[in-house]
Amino acid sequence: MRLRLPRPWRRDLHALAGAYALDALDDAERDRFERHLRRCQACQNEVRGFAATAAALGRAAAAEPPAGLKERVLAATTVTRQLPPVTATPRWRRAAAGSSAARRGTSRTFWTMPKIATGIAAVALAAVVALAVITIGTNNSLNKERARNQAIAAVLAAPDARIVSGPTTAGGTATVVASHLAGKIVFTSSGLRVLPSSQVYELWFLGPGKARGAGLVPPAGVTGSTAPVLASGLETGDSVGVTVEPAGGTTAPTTTPIVVLAVPA
Amino acid sequence: MCAARSEQEPAERADADLDTLLTHVAKGDQAAFEALYDQLGSSVYGLVRRVLRNPSQAEEVAQEVLLEVWRAASRFDPARGSAATWVLTIAHRRAIDRVRAEEAATAREQRTAEVPAATDEVAETVEASMDAERLRRCLAGLTELQRESITLAYYGGYSYAQVAALLDTALGTIKTRIRDGLTRLRACLGVS
Repeated sequence: MRLRLPRPWRRDLHALAGAYALDALDDAERDRFERHLRRCQACQNEVRGFAATAAALGRAAAAEPPAGLKERVLAATTVTRQLPPVTATPRWRRAAAGSSAARRGTSRTFWTMPKIATGIAAVALAAVVALAVITIGTNNSLNKERARNQAIAAVLAAPDARIVSGPTTAGGTATVVASHLAGKIVFTSSGLRVLPSSQVYELWFLGPGKARGAGLVPPAGVTGSTAPVLASGLETGDSVGVTVEPAGGTTAPTTTPIVVLAVPA
Repeated sequence: MCAARSEQEPAERADADLDTLLTHVAKGDQAAFEALYDQLGSSVYGLVRRVLRNPSQAEEVAQEVLLEVWRAASRFDPARGSAATWVLTIAHRRAIDRVRAEEAATAREQRTAEVPAATDEVAETVEASMDAERLRRCLAGLTELQRESITLAYYGGYSYAQVAALLDTALGTIKTRIRDGLTRLRACLGVS
């Protein structure tokens, strides 16, 4: 338990508690400090107090959120599954888990940041859902949208749902959530180059030897994100691609895809 | 030294209420989540906007943070701090993640050009004016270097190495000033 680092180093690490609580460390230092934190009770106490102090600074910056944020967040909660609680690990095991691998699965940092192993996918899913909800909020044909939203939520919640994401040659990122069980995908993107009104991004299932149309991608909203597109007809072995086509779309791709995402089997 | 003891009690009660709300949220209670939003939504949005500066980005990140609070509520452990601290810790971390991601993507010069005014802005848009007043007094009790280091790091979103460069001060000095300043601030605010 003792004597892991030479003394000056330890003291040096300990001094990082303040910068750590302000998120002012670079990644490497943060990892180093967190490893230290796990077995340094004094540091844990100090960080706890500092975090509360930082939170006081945070609350002093309070500002009226934009109209609609509350509704969107509340609506998103209705289609976002919550994480289960972390079930107790015996204290002795937690203490013994100096080799960070054992800890990594539960919580990445001491300070209860809910960063979990599957965090990236789950957050991306939540973002997709939030987008779906925004669409609802701004569309008048509520029932139709609600049905569509449920269909999207069904894909996201499918037991075999997989998420793939990648950069596009038109900038930004494209993301696909796919379920083979449902035979459907949900596509969304952010930061794609804005097209002139004469052109459109079109979505394709790219199977062996042929491409099948999967719908048009609606223009991005003010945040640069596109509303999710739900497409049926996913087959085993398909990739999902996006091309730039004349407005209205085409029956087969006429340009090189800006992105091709392989759907995991 | 600092704020009167009596000011602390309502704040502590409110904190306990928030803790309770969050434990209800963890069980899927949407009304509890809405109540939590009413109490912390402006802090989350305000803090994120303060760090990011860009209102539409701030809205996006704030939404992400709030949804994360809903999603991960079961991971909240009252033994490790209050609900408000937990939520604001997430908010700040997310805002910083965004700042760092953008820094990696764009030239650093742009941000460095707009050095934020440090303390004057602290209470710019404060709602809870009593708490803010107390915070202002406590900040005023720090040395200038402590105050600048803390506000540049926390509100400005700078790493302590960047703070050291901005203030033209040795790295080790900034590190200890941040820690000493936070220690003093913590005592002054009566944070346990």
